[in-house]
Amino acid sequence: MNDQRMSGKMRAALVVIGLALLFAVPSFTRNEYVLALGVSFATFAVLSGGLNLVYGYAGLLSFAQVGFFGLGAYAAALLVTDVNWPVWAGALAGALLAALVGLGIGYSSLRLSRHAFAIVTLSFALLCMIISRDWVSLTRGAMGIPGLAVPQFNFPGGLSWRLNKPTDFYYLLLGLAVVCQAVIYAVVTSRIGRALKAVKMNEPLAQSQGINPLRYKLMAVTLSAFMTGLMGGFFVFYLTIVDPSIFDFYYTETMLIMVILGGAGSFWGVLFSSAILTVLPDMLRFTTDLRMVLYGFILIIAMLVFPGGIGGWFERRRIERWRKVPYGGRSAP
Amino acid sequence: MDISFLIQLLLNGLVIGVIYALIAMGLSLIFGVLEIVNFAHGEFYMLGAVAAYFLTTNLSIGYWPTIALVTVGALAVGFILYEVLLASLRGEGFERSILLTLGLSMVLQNGAVFLFTTTPKMMLSPLTYSNVIMGDVRMSVLRLYALGLGIAAFIALYFILYRTQVGKAMRGVSQNREAALMVGIDPRSVSRLAVAIGIGLSGLAGAALAPIYAVHPLMGFSFVFKAFAIIIIGGLGNVSGAAIAAIALGVLESLIGGFLPTVMVDGLAFAAMMLILLIRPQGLFGRGVRV
Repeated sequence: MNDQRMSGKMRAALVVIGLALLFAVPSFTRNEYVLALGVSFATFAVLSGGLNLVYGYAGLLSFAQVGFFGLGAYAAALLVTDVNWPVWAGALAGALLAALVGLGIGYSSLRLSRHAFAIVTLSFALLCMIISRDWVSLTRGAMGIPGLAVPQFNFPGGLSWRLNKPTDFYYLLLGLAVVCQAVIYAVVTSRIGRALKAVKMNEPLAQSQGINPLRYKLMAVTLSAFMTGLMGGFFVFYLTIVDPSIFDFYYTETMLIMVILGGAGSFWGVLFSSAILTVLPDMLRFTTDLRMVLYGFILIIAMLVFPGGIGGWFERRRIERWRKVPYGGRSAP
Repeated sequence: MDISFLIQLLLNGLVIGVIYALIAMGLSLIFGVLEIVNFAHGEFYMLGAVAAYFLTTNLSIGYWPTIALVTVGALAVGFILYEVLLASLRGEGFERSILLTLGLSMVLQNGAVFLFTTTPKMMLSPLTYSNVIMGDVRMSVLRLYALGLGIAAFIALYFILYRTQVGKAMRGVSQNREAALMVGIDPRSVSRLAVAIGIGLSGLAGAALAPIYAVHPLMGFSFVFKAFAIIIIGGLGNVSGAAIAAIALGVLESLIGGFLPTVMVDGLAFAAMMLILLIRPQGLFGRGVRV
């Protein structure tokens, strides 16, 4: 027990140091490439964290995350460009829309089965891409909406923050990512997180203990859709353009690889793999096509050999320690 | 609006519906027997079309031999797919099977993009411009062939499922796995055959549509999205339900496409799926499920 608390303190110290280092990066270097990697990491950390919440904790394989991301992006871009809303309001509206859609998809498909959920979410993601391309009068079609405004936040008291340098976006998206990760962490370590895990491990048993599976699942889906949409709503102003490629399957595949390799259901594992998988492929300069082929192979091999990912491996070691017996069988489903 | 335009739309819808059905029936069959949702299903349709393109354009093989070669090839690929990847999944983790087939789909699709580029290619054959004209209705011969092939494949599949021993075994496994095992059905050989047939149908669909539409590596993507909606509408694992839903969707899409903007056509499959999930979650033709 003492041992556990120590490691908890150490972990907290590590987190504080890591955060301080991340926020200090712009004072060491103004290199745009480094800042772009940082922005990319912040974004993918939230995307994969959201997927981890739904898949890793609630056990629901969602392909709709990219749809929520793009929905947030499109809603924010359109509200700011066409209706002249402030950026924060546009992004918030995008996030709420994503959450609402997530709730609708979750409710309609989860009543049937997890299978239906996977299929419906995939259809939804593909539909988003097709609609963004074909509903030209709303979305401007394949050309997208280029030249989005420079975001500006006006605070009460006459203060304002205009995001016109890469550093500004670095701070904004990193700050958002930290908040989102904190929310995810708070949820998964709370009673809700334990209820989700219980439902994932044995639904009838969890139900018999008075847990309503549908409610918890919907909560996870909606929260994850909200955060993903919010990130999309702000990220789009960093891109300065939104077009149907925001719904590209590339995002889904990258998120999935991050969650699978990091270990579905492992908060730190997924965060760690998001960092590695943002930096590494970029440094190796793979073309996107080949990277996707490689990711595909990784996915196949991971599913055949170690379905739990890196985090799953650690989890298994932990359970092994608890049991004090050699772990022989497969990991729990 | 004249009646021949309507008939034209109906016929076109029927052709596309039959092709949807080929893909969706395979998907549904594989789900029914193995409880695996094959996310790579659309890629085999794409590979069938690409293979047909190469056989016709580069090796100048005729229409019918191309169809036969591609179908046989796809059946073989299905056998191999089951033995190499899917057999090890037996009874374990629905998510694992999805991620595995998704990985396969990524490899196939992006590999094809890398080798073939995303430029759509038109496949020309001596039949490309020949039409059958009945009154005011004009129908390309290739579309008629595709329709005929689709119907022939239905009949063959029906015959296998309802008139042969192995077909009965397949239906048995999809109805009740344990009971099938108890009466001595070998799930492995039944599953292997189901996957081979499913992939074979997909390859056939690709080869039949290749001369009608442009061939490119992302073609499987948009098709499989509809196939997923179709198997939900028809009832998961219900092969004939999938066929009926597919033809209905093809015809409806064609009719709507004749009068309304494209967005409506794209959204139709999804809207129908959501509607079915809300009012009749077991699918139009499914057995009752607990909701």
